[in-house]
Amino acid sequence: MVGKPARPANAIDQTRRMLSLMTYLRERPGARVEDVARAFGITEDELVSDLDVLPMCGTSFRGGDLLDIDTDGERIWWHNPDDVAEPLRLASDEATALLVAARAVSTLPGLRESDRQALLRATAKVEAAAGEQAGASSRLSVTFESEGGVFADVDRAISERRRLWIRYYSPARDEVTEREIDPIRLVSVGHTYVEAWCRRSEARRTFRLDRVAEIKILDEPSAPPEIELRDLSEGLVQPAAADPEVVVEVGPGGRWVAEYYPHDSADELPDGGLRITLRTPEPASLKRLALRLGREGRIVSPRDLADSARGAAREALAAYDGVEAHGAPGAHAVQDGQHGRQEQEL
Amino acid sequence: MAIAKAERLMNLALCLLGTRRPLSKRELRESIEAYLEAGSDDSFNRMFERDKDDLRELGLVIETVENLDGEVGYLARRDSNRLPPVTLDAEEAAALGLAAKVWQQARLAGAASGALQKLRAAGLPEDFDPYETHGALEPRIPVHEAAFEPLMLACRDRRPVVFDYRKATAAHPEPRHVEPWALECWRGHWYLAGWDRDRSAERVFRLSRITGKVRTRGARFTAPVPDVVTVRETVASWAGETADRSALIRLRVGAGYPLRAKAASVRELGDGWDELEIPYGHGLDAWLVEFGPDVVVLEPAELRADVVDRLRAVAKG
Repeated sequence: MVGKPARPANAIDQTRRMLSLMTYLRERPGARVEDVARAFGITEDELVSDLDVLPMCGTSFRGGDLLDIDTDGERIWWHNPDDVAEPLRLASDEATALLVAARAVSTLPGLRESDRQALLRATAKVEAAAGEQAGASSRLSVTFESEGGVFADVDRAISERRRLWIRYYSPARDEVTEREIDPIRLVSVGHTYVEAWCRRSEARRTFRLDRVAEIKILDEPSAPPEIELRDLSEGLVQPAAADPEVVVEVGPGGRWVAEYYPHDSADELPDGGLRITLRTPEPASLKRLALRLGREGRIVSPRDLADSARGAAREALAAYDGVEAHGAPGAHAVQDGQHGRQEQEL
Repeated sequence: MAIAKAERLMNLALCLLGTRRPLSKRELRESIEAYLEAGSDDSFNRMFERDKDDLRELGLVIETVENLDGEVGYLARRDSNRLPPVTLDAEEAAALGLAAKVWQQARLAGAASGALQKLRAAGLPEDFDPYETHGALEPRIPVHEAAFEPLMLACRDRRPVVFDYRKATAAHPEPRHVEPWALECWRGHWYLAGWDRDRSAERVFRLSRITGKVRTRGARFTAPVPDVVTVRETVASWAGETADRSALIRLRVGAGYPLRAKAASVRELGDGWDELEIPYGHGLDAWLVEFGPDVVVLEPAELRADVVDRLRAVAKG
């Protein structure tokens, strides 16, 4: 199932779940395995392994009685229900996890207003029920970034199954292109993205909402092909093994590159810098990085990429030539490298 | 085969919840099979202490009571462990279901599911599936930083910490002694705000720049914790989001869309170039250089000089 949080087999989580299971089962004799697993957000196998453990547990000090809980694989019975299974109060981490997430989600501009109101009411009720356990939740906060208007249009197009027209900015090529996309889902991981089938490239593409320059909902129905949704928990950018390799060396001031770019390796250099090896389907997009790094780093390979960054810097510098001599910003020459013309600006 | 930890924790929880009078360690040891098998007193004691801590993490209030003979007993009273009544309608329950699945960090994902399970057991409406996609929206809170969990616990418990921190431009990390106040996630990165003991000042740290382990110090906080901790504002000012001046640039027609989106004014020059007035904050020089020959800085002179300086460094290669 897409987007289900990772649930490691961990004794604490399992204990927490089994305590809630007891409360749940006490109220619902003969509950169906399928329904209980869904209610608890676990697989039927996980539920069955809990049901294997529960009969080994009991309030044994009071007379050695173990929980008599059993299942025929379809339904679950608890034959000696006990009032020990009252609903348990929330732990501090539980209240924090739920409240911080609820507050973050309630600020998403694309959330339907009725859902936002429901979430705010639910948040207030959980806060009240958690009591002092809710206190530490103010020490954690999350802000989702998203572009309100664009978000609302994408959300509407998805729910009405309609195609979108967008003008989209691609930083790799510093250009804005028009395309029609069939939106599939919205994902917020730091920034907010729409995953869509791009009609222009006939491929799955992910678009960052703050790079959408313009958007229109079209009358045509959206018809994305059936594609398997990716698990995005490892990040949206997942370079393929076949992508070309780029090696960048940075000084201490360029170490941030390793934080922003998914990479294969980052080896320490003696001056406190890093040698970073990464792969990208479009090495030309890293010319921007080389320019940005300035003296804090350089592209080691491929050679032609390093050359193109140097070339771009020289071309840019030409526009400032002579200006320093005049000392008057505003008057300068611009060289258009593509056409080799030189224009004198006044 | 050794008895699974979850089974042992369950038995301890049920014994403590089931009893009306405090149970001594000895009684508990005799009641719970896993403790009978624990072997030496030492290993039993260690196991018992850890288990009590784990149950407290799950929210169980375990009281320690001394009886008349001076023997220590333990119990988890029903009334202090009961969830107060919570009545949520189906819409509210569905909204919480969406929120409960946004964490990508194991501990908080587990805690959020646990909270939902407790509410579910207490009667949260079930006519929805909280793990199905809710509308088209899939918010996720990413946590990739190893320092996150220990710092979250230190913020929760108000415990000072020490960690090695490598500033953005520093070659080597330095130890920092911090009283951690709050963690905030902005644009997918986590930041810590707290009191820097060595500098006697409030500081914001980026978690990805913490190297090595976060160690917790036993001592208490020495500086007062402010009512409002502003992490995002501090980070925004580093990121050049808060511009106090403006700059004049020339931009090739068709290029630099993000600069245009930020511009206060755009004037067509008619020769393939536009003139833009844009906000000038920290980091603008590095950003402008990214556009290579498509941008020419006109003023201020200081920004021009910075950009030229950066371009020269790249041109030399």
